[in-house]
Amino acid sequence: MRPGRKRFRRRVKVCRFTVEKINYIDYKDVDLLREYTPTNGKILPRRVTGTRPAFQHKLTRAIKRARFMALLPYTGS
Amino acid sequence: MPLYELGVIIDPEIPPEDETSTLERLEGIITDAGGEVAEKDAWGRRQLAYPIRKKNYGVYHFWKVNVGGEVLEKLNFEMRTNDSVMRSLILNMDRELRRKRKMDAKYEARAAKKAAKAAAKAESSADED
Repeated sequence: MRPGRKRFRRRVKVCRFTVEKINYIDYKDVDLLREYTPTNGKILPRRVTGTRPAFQHKLTRAIKRARFMALLPYTGS
Repeated sequence: MPLYELGVIIDPEIPPEDETSTLERLEGIITDAGGEVAEKDAWGRRQLAYPIRKKNYGVYHFWKVNVGGEVLEKLNFEMRTNDSVMRSLILNMDRELRRKRKMDAKYEARAAKKAAKAAAKAESSADED
């Protein structure tokens, strides 16, 4: 390792929904959705979380529904 | 009749009898049309993620409803015009769960195949012994 160069290990990202075989994402499941919305309220991209596209679509819909029902914020505080 | 999921947020500052009468009215619309409320889930008073009508709390109710689709218009109208309902959302659960059923079947088929394979393997190894 050359000095001055930061060593970092890339974490292996896995799609949680594939692994746990969750195949329906309910908008009422706030605790689950919270994990994909940081405090600023935005939806984490799949590039960050490793979620499969099909589940990312469902997740997005669920989060937007939860926002409408005031279960999740549109913007962070 | 398709299965719907109905979610409503009721104003927390109205008297409790108004809340029950609102819910009864909604249920009345459903039962009058020959539908039924299959499941009631009351979350109760809960803090809203953002203020609605300058209120920080809301009373949440979620129902699973078996009703004909033509009633939804009536339901939506009632919820829109009723002042004690702050938010409402109706989802068609048949449509929502179609993919889930398909995937459940797929997972099941895969598991069955795996089990069959394992059983066949166990049998063949037993033959060798």
